[in-house]
Amino acid sequence: MTDKRTMIFEIIAETSSLPTIPGVVSRLQALSENRRSTIEEMARLVSSDQILSARVLRLVNSPSYGFYRVSTISNALILLGVNVIKSLALSSSIFEIMGKSIVGLWEHSLGAGVAANVIARHLKLPEVEEISTAALLHDIGKVIIKEKCPNDYAAIERLMAERNLTMLEAEREHLGTDHAEIGEWLVRSWYLPDKLSEPVACHHDVARAATHHVKTAVVHCADVLVKASGFGFSGDEYVPRIQPAAWERLGLTEEGLAAIVEEFEEKLVETRNFSLEIQSADEE
Amino acid sequence: MRNSLRIIIVAGERGVDGNVALRLQSKGYQAVTLTAPASVMGLIYSDPPDVVLVDLSAPDEALMAVIHSLKEDFFFSTIPVIGMIPEPFAEAFDWEEYPLDDYVSLPLNARELFTRITLSLRRLRRVFDNNPLTRLPGNTSIQRAIQQAVGRPMAVCYVDINHFKQYNDVYGFAHGDEVLRMLGRIMANAVKEAGEGFAGHIGGDDFVFIVPEEQAEAVAQRIIDNFAAIASELFDEVEKLNGFYVAHDRKGNEEKIPLMGVAVAIVPTDSPKIEHYAKVAEVAAELKKLAKKSPQSCYVVDRRH
Repeated sequence: MTDKRTMIFEIIAETSSLPTIPGVVSRLQALSENRRSTIEEMARLVSSDQILSARVLRLVNSPSYGFYRVSTISNALILLGVNVIKSLALSSSIFEIMGKSIVGLWEHSLGAGVAANVIARHLKLPEVEEISTAALLHDIGKVIIKEKCPNDYAAIERLMAERNLTMLEAEREHLGTDHAEIGEWLVRSWYLPDKLSEPVACHHDVARAATHHVKTAVVHCADVLVKASGFGFSGDEYVPRIQPAAWERLGLTEEGLAAIVEEFEEKLVETRNFSLEIQSADEE
Repeated sequence: MRNSLRIIIVAGERGVDGNVALRLQSKGYQAVTLTAPASVMGLIYSDPPDVVLVDLSAPDEALMAVIHSLKEDFFFSTIPVIGMIPEPFAEAFDWEEYPLDDYVSLPLNARELFTRITLSLRRLRRVFDNNPLTRLPGNTSIQRAIQQAVGRPMAVCYVDINHFKQYNDVYGFAHGDEVLRMLGRIMANAVKEAGEGFAGHIGGDDFVFIVPEEQAEAVAQRIIDNFAAIASELFDEVEKLNGFYVAHDRKGNEEKIPLMGVAVAIVPTDSPKIEHYAKVAEVAAELKKLAKKSPQSCYVVDRRH
């Protein structure tokens, strides 16, 4: 068990590039050629791709540039400049191995980002963009397992089918770790700040969050809501309950949640269209 | 931090003689060969090498794009780019098209290659007076750029940060340096995105950029806006809400320090009054005093001509 854990950790330590969705590349190109497009538009596009987002944040926080605390995509865009982002997206697209099979996970992450945004604004929390980014990244560990250890991923899928386990349970049994911990390692190895790595690490165990418990609680709720909505596919059909610690930390009420769900459902229609647009751009 | 020189070898679709990397490695260099030009820039941006070698035995657009992106980015233009060119072609090579720092001829003479690498590094260190913190060109280059702008429809723009000294005192040098690097980057990006222009770092929190006169205000405004967006990440929610942070003076009294912003003095250089470098600096100093009077970030244009 621990051998697998160590092995995955070593894989992460060596991982300098992960796949991204190429549709983003052509849209980014189009946006950057239009002189009137704004940083916000570009930031929205970059945010639609969790891996590109992660790479952008990782790059802007890397020692070569000497910035230590950049946690939003729009600020990363301001500091790196449009050309750097374009090259980054392009070089990522070479690692297209992700393929269509993982579109479900990508949609799940995109949906979680939207849900986190709705929740954070509803609760009038500061740093909404950070919270959305953390939600966007929350399942990044699954990408690592699938891309870098495909045999283990298949074994996890078999375990889920044979023993009727959730993905999280199957990962723990087969790997001795799970996608939340793997995601945390990855996000930390990318020099991203705690306010992003802790919600990734604790999105299945809100009570464990020591510093950023509010952000973690939002990411947890966003994950549950997007699973319940049936948007995207995170790997299994299991919809967990919102943990008591999350209700408590966010001071969430049934009525409040109902209002959030209503707004989220509306936003999802937009998100779905956006997702289809990006996928069709790939087919061109 | 690095114990040996890191070298990237860029080749076209057909690849490159594998011996090059081997020879370099035997010399103790770290060498990587890349054959997909599309991925090269991403790699260089995320982990800049010390030297780039480009195989130009079959030059194509992708290779040319790599050379141009390197040489046109202020941040990366200090990395020597050495072309490897088949001996018969070198003399007729179009050096305008290929802004290389040096070349070696193919077939390769390994000893010559090693010497060229060492030389390019030395030469670039001498030629560039870049600020080590922001890597932007320093005073020698700034002076030259201003002299070239005088008499043309350009504008020399001086930028500095309001309340930077206090920020440095309260939050420490490391954070102060980060702010300077951020402003340097914001300014260089804004100038680059505007097209033609120059960005330099005088020292401390004093920066200069030069753009065509009709673009100066737009670029200044973009720098002000982008700096404001970045600065909002440097302060916590309470400080942002209040619009100040608390410092203590030498007697221990509390002092409310406004959050940082930038002031820009724009000096158009085609006026008959501006005949040389020193005059530009003089006018800018007066304007800066004006810009600093405003409590917010702002720019001031010299309109007296």
